[in-house]
Amino acid sequence: MSARTAGRAALLAVLATVWSVAAYLLWRSQVPSSLHLPHVAVRQMFSAAQLRAASSFGRFTTIDWVLAEVTQLVVFGLYAWRGARFARESAAGPIGTGMLLGMIGFALVWISQLPFGFASLWWERRHHLTHIGYVTYAFGNWLALGSQFVFLCLTLLIVMGLGRLTGGWWWLPAAPVFVGLVTLSAFVTPYLLTTHRLHDARLQAQARVLERIEHVQHTPIVVESVHDVTALPNAEATGLGPSRRVVLWDTLLDGRFTNAELRVVIAHELGHLKRQHLWKDVGWYALLAFPGAFIVARVTRRRGGMGAPEAVPLALLAIVVLDLLALPLQNAISRHMEAEADWEALQATRDPAAATALFKRFVSTTLDEPSASTLEYLVLENHPTIEQRIAMAEAWRGYERSNAP
Amino acid sequence: MDVHPVQLVVQDDLARSRPTVFFRLLLAIPHIVWLFLWTLLTVLFAVVTWLATLVSGQPPAWLHRYMCAYVRYQVHLTSYLVLAANPYPPFDGRKGEYPIDVTLPEPEVQSRWTTLFRIFLAIPALLISSAFSGSGGLRFSSGSHRSAGTYSGGGALFTACAFLGWFACLVRGRMPKGLRDAGAYGVGYGAQVLAYLLFVTGRYPNADPTAMLAGVERPPEHPVRLVGEAHDLRRSRVTVFFRLLLALPHVVWLALWAVAAILAAVANWFVTLVRGTPAAALHGFLSRFVRYRLHVYAFLSLAANPFPAFGGRAGSYPLDLELPEPGRQNRWKTGFRIVLVIPAAIVNGALEWGLFVAAVLTWFAALVKGTAPWGLRNLMAYALRYDAQVNAYGLLLTDVYPNASPLEGAAAQPDAFDDTL
Repeated sequence: MSARTAGRAALLAVLATVWSVAAYLLWRSQVPSSLHLPHVAVRQMFSAAQLRAASSFGRFTTIDWVLAEVTQLVVFGLYAWRGARFARESAAGPIGTGMLLGMIGFALVWISQLPFGFASLWWERRHHLTHIGYVTYAFGNWLALGSQFVFLCLTLLIVMGLGRLTGGWWWLPAAPVFVGLVTLSAFVTPYLLTTHRLHDARLQAQARVLERIEHVQHTPIVVESVHDVTALPNAEATGLGPSRRVVLWDTLLDGRFTNAELRVVIAHELGHLKRQHLWKDVGWYALLAFPGAFIVARVTRRRGGMGAPEAVPLALLAIVVLDLLALPLQNAISRHMEAEADWEALQATRDPAAATALFKRFVSTTLDEPSASTLEYLVLENHPTIEQRIAMAEAWRGYERSNAP
Repeated sequence: MDVHPVQLVVQDDLARSRPTVFFRLLLAIPHIVWLFLWTLLTVLFAVVTWLATLVSGQPPAWLHRYMCAYVRYQVHLTSYLVLAANPYPPFDGRKGEYPIDVTLPEPEVQSRWTTLFRIFLAIPALLISSAFSGSGGLRFSSGSHRSAGTYSGGGALFTACAFLGWFACLVRGRMPKGLRDAGAYGVGYGAQVLAYLLFVTGRYPNADPTAMLAGVERPPEHPVRLVGEAHDLRRSRVTVFFRLLLALPHVVWLALWAVAAILAAVANWFVTLVRGTPAAALHGFLSRFVRYRLHVYAFLSLAANPFPAFGGRAGSYPLDLELPEPGRQNRWKTGFRIVLVIPAAIVNGALEWGLFVAAVLTWFAALVKGTAPWGLRNLMAYALRYDAQVNAYGLLLTDVYPNASPLEGAAAQPDAFDDTL
């Protein structure tokens, strides 16, 4: 082994160690490691009709997702092969041409995904989960689509600018820049949502109590009006530092959920904030951004590196493939944090019956399957399954009993 | 390119009688009533001509003569209304006696297919005509009642030319040549559309302003003019299809740049007012902004094909702009620039509406054929050039007023011999 190879191996080992330590620190959870999730008798808990409806809904959604992903890969593959010839349609210099190539790739994929989006929309409309019209779906969200294009151009400006300055080492300065942008985005996002304050005084008072219990006082609890586009209930914890807040969709407050169940939802979202999950999201992004950018840099070397516009179509393909490969890991991380938030909610509300009722209600209101197949679990489930969430509520009950003084 | 059978003839000397200009709309009332009645009859005859042309392949001679007179009358009256001509027009659409006239073809064999679908085929031309001139056919009211036969003179460019020309004629007794040419172009295109719609010719209207005003004297050369490769009509279908999305980063960048340009223009105004010439650095910055705006608009409107650069550098785009160096400017014109630019901005607004319609039509054409229609390309180039001239004037790059003529200015001819010698 030459000294150079040994040096590289040592460097790799150091980096792997640093990565692993960071990942370990981010992975740490309040959920007791000794916690054993009991078996949940799903078939006894839900009616056959409920299970059939959820299964049918989930099967179509999964097939649609798989077909959309395959199509996306095919389109990006073809584009990586032939897309560089669109460079002749540009008078914008290397970086501008790279932006053009990136945008064309995105636009082609957007078009290719529309049929699957329509299929999914049709399916959701059929199950009364959304009220969005087909025309609105296709043409109603130009602002979001346009923002994606502008963001893509900004990304390419950074990457290609660094690629032209630093050659094959662009990924080293680029990764922290993107981490910074993701942090900024996480901070700013709450200010871009149109929300109003929670009008239910009783629920507001209960939220204040939960905030005290979870040590996240003065967190605004706000409501986002979405009932005109969807019937799905949802909530999210968003923002960093002064921008952090809990956003409840107004579909949660339409009478389908009891007050106790809503307390669990709020406690769950406050749990995210208590455990700094948004910061951890940024941390995980950083851990994945460095190796991801490195791989893209390696893949695009044969096309002249990211300083050359001809490399952009290939880079897009590389990113999509990497994203797909990393999806099981990303979902595992997300499920891990959601489980921790569930645990925090149980600790704060001390009401496993309400948590169980809430999770059971999700089967009828969101058509979520209580349990998932391995493929669905790996690539589609970014929350624990309903079966797992109910099992955790049961486990918490047992845990509390065994740890009672 | 062969000549369109409907040709505009301009023999107007720009002189205008102030009293008739002042009362122009009132004086035109008998004509408008007469046109209304004549149009009712023409609608009826148009159906007969359509059937006859479908059967025999060409319109009967007497109907053709009737339609020619109607088209010519429209030309005369519209020219009178928009102040593109001075004398009171005759009521019979007679040939060759009015300063703004058209030559029309003899009855010709026409394709039965295009005859059959003429009303649909004419829609793109009608859209352009109504955007620029508001003329060229039967108009539908905005309400539920179809107002077939009403006079249709509500185009943005016509309105702007007539409105501004009215003031200019009252003050100077002359119609500004740029406004007259713009009005004449609208009249000519409207005549081509009407002739096509009424089966006078089977040739599709040609929107090319240069071809339309081929016989008209070109205006003096303006310091802000288009340069570059005009004949590259190839358009990439993929980039055409996604043009709006692809232009987004440029639109964002242009908007940001515009903020800085406004601040620079204010600074430039003070400098130019004090020194009499703009500051070189500000002049360079604003020149790049004006040029970049042209590049972006050309890309967005499909007047040019490639994705433009972000810097507004000269020579970086096929549809480019020549701009003057910093030079001495009249302080009065500088002091009141923000007021003086208003009429030009009105015309520019009208042209931008036309540019939008032309761009939409080019989008469809380029998607199908992979090329931009030459006429529409030149029409858009006219609108873009005027926009650049207005911007250059407003941002104090030059004190030469924008020229609304669709014709590109001609360089001054050197004298045959120098008689001072």
